[in-house]
Amino acid sequence: MIARADLRCTSCGRGLAGRGATAFLCPSCGVETIGRDARCRDQSVPYKCKNCGFVGP
Amino acid sequence: MPDDEIQVTEPLTSTTSEGQDIRPGELLVPEDTYLTAGVHIGTQQKSASMRHFVFKIRYDGLYVLDIKETDRRIRLAAQFLARFPPDKILAVSQRQYGQKPVRIFAKTIGAVSFSERFVPGSLTNPNLAEYIEPKVLMVTDPATDMQGLSEAVSVGIPVVGLCDVNNETRNVDLVIPCNNKGRVSLATIYWLLGREVLRARSGSEAEPAYPLTIEDFQAAL
Ligand SMILES: [Zn+2]
Ligand SMILES: [Zn+2]
Repeated sequence: MIARADLRCTSCGRGLAGRGATAFLCPSCGVETIGRDARCRDQSVPYKCKNCGFVGP
Repeated sequence: MPDDEIQVTEPLTSTTSEGQDIRPGELLVPEDTYLTAGVHIGTQQKSASMRHFVFKIRYDGLYVLDIKETDRRIRLAAQFLARFPPDKILAVSQRQYGQKPVRIFAKTIGAVSFSERFVPGSLTNPNLAEYIEPKVLMVTDPATDMQGLSEAVSVGIPVVGLCDVNNETRNVDLVIPCNNKGRVSLATIYWLLGREVLRARSGSEAEPAYPLTIEDFQAAL
């Protein structure tokens, strides 16, 4: 679950390099990898799974 | 009129569905189990990020949560946690009534718990005796468990959080909307989460062996 530089934030499309970002499998379908960069996490910007449509957080 | 000004009159101790349209068998437990535990009873303040989990405002000014969404989120969180190695799950509670539930929950699913004090550096300073490297963090309250939350952000692991109506959801990656202050509410949620994690791991719809009761999770008065 380490944020990797080649992953992108599901909400805003920015890269996930740097402190504060994370990546995890969609809580609903477990298929799609959800990326969240530090800014979107901190501001609780919603993310939407491209596979199942789940909206988090 | 904003939706938070709707006036509803009903008794304080109501154990009816409080107007939430729930069919029998739709929830993980009978609706009364949630209602008598007060899992749906929020606070008098509402954060912007929690507003879409609010079902209505009660006559006495308390925000009431949508119990179906709470139930759905408990299922999702359990599925989510079940995908991690048990000993890589860290559950924390600085909140007093959450400490016993967190301990029993962690023991039940083979996870690690820090109840009581979260020693600063536990996730970030390898020189500490308390240092561990979890892959996911479960917080009982993002406000009181701020230290753990902030360290989870530093090390880039996802966070599941019990969030009350007044909580900010910043840095929480999966919200379980609920009353995270009440003694019985916290026991009920962790009891159910424990059961559902075991069920998700077993990959079966069948009821797993689960001899624990909600009372087993309750902090002493
Ligand atoms: Zn972003
Ligand atoms: Zn999904």
